[in-house]
Amino acid sequence: MLYDLRRADVRIKWLVTGLLATLGLSYVFGAVMVALYAGFTPRSVAATYAGPEMSMPMPPETTVAVQRPMSMADFAQPEVHTVDTKLLIQDTHVHVPMYGLIAAALGVVVAGLSLPRRGALGLIVLLFAAPWLDFAGMWLTKFASPRFAIVTLAGGWAMGLAYLSVAALAVHQMWLSRERS
Amino acid sequence: MSFFIRTAVIAALVHITPVVVLVKRPDAVQTLLPGADAYVAREVHLSATDAHRLHEAVDWSPEDGVLVFYGGTAGATSVGALEFVRVDTPHGPIEVAVGFTPQGAVRGVVVTKATVEMRPWVLEAVGAGLTDYYRGLKPGGEAPGGAAGLASRTGNLAAYVAREVDKGVARALAAYGAFYNHVKT
Repeated sequence: MLYDLRRADVRIKWLVTGLLATLGLSYVFGAVMVALYAGFTPRSVAATYAGPEMSMPMPPETTVAVQRPMSMADFAQPEVHTVDTKLLIQDTHVHVPMYGLIAAALGVVVAGLSLPRRGALGLIVLLFAAPWLDFAGMWLTKFASPRFAIVTLAGGWAMGLAYLSVAALAVHQMWLSRERS
Repeated sequence: MSFFIRTAVIAALVHITPVVVLVKRPDAVQTLLPGADAYVAREVHLSATDAHRLHEAVDWSPEDGVLVFYGGTAGATSVGALEFVRVDTPHGPIEVAVGFTPQGAVRGVVVTKATVEMRPWVLEAVGAGLTDYYRGLKPGGEAPGGAAGLASRTGNLAAYVAREVDKGVARALAAYGAFYNHVKT
């Protein structure tokens, strides 16, 4: 094969290493952001995406008011970060093209690895399937059932797993393998 | 390839930055309901007709069709009420707390949340005295004129934020005027 990262020019190896390091940094902060805004449990993800819309009653026939006492401590309660439909549309529109580009870039790295054809195809499928799962989970959580939060979590973990697999294989083959030139 | 590069640049440019708290809610409550020692949350569940009326008036529908007002009292005396209003912008949401006196005039306005990107614009607008322009406004009266008041005194981005805060204050005024004292519990 003409494109083999083990025997690639050192400039290509550094380019790929730089790409992997930069994406790795963004993934670390992505994980921190998820921890801050949505959490890593099905319950917290469901609370973020399903929100009150899942149980939203029909508007009343006439406008009614309900009053309850509040304490200052109630105002200080941490608010659950929620993503409503409009924000989810915006998030999907903004994130999906970027996820596609990241998957494509990592897919190009996979194409340069010395792997069995099935293994390479599996990794490429995983790279693209992970963001699909991530966003499918968010939409299903919002409109089908909060139980689909697990799909979003699976998508997120799959993204991390796919990145780590590609990064570990690439670094090993480019810089550590005996067969490298 | 240029398509991918352009897509990446566009995606980076339109990325919504996270929301940060500029003023904590308890601090906003203490500022806008000074001296209050007891509070109530008054949730007004709008009928479809009233929700439509509000939307027609200020191009806004509250989340889940519920307006939430917070009333404060000191002993048996009302100190006023306040409302937190979210304004969605292409740069992400901002949240504005609008406090009313017992007589129904705006006592003060506090911008409580903004995105990381908008934070410096908000601070510039507030530093230039944006919230002073809302004091004393009453429902059905003069329209909020913070942006007009800041014109030529701040940069374009602070002026942009002022227009969004104007929207938040207009929504709070419309909601308070139509529903705070006119719906039975």
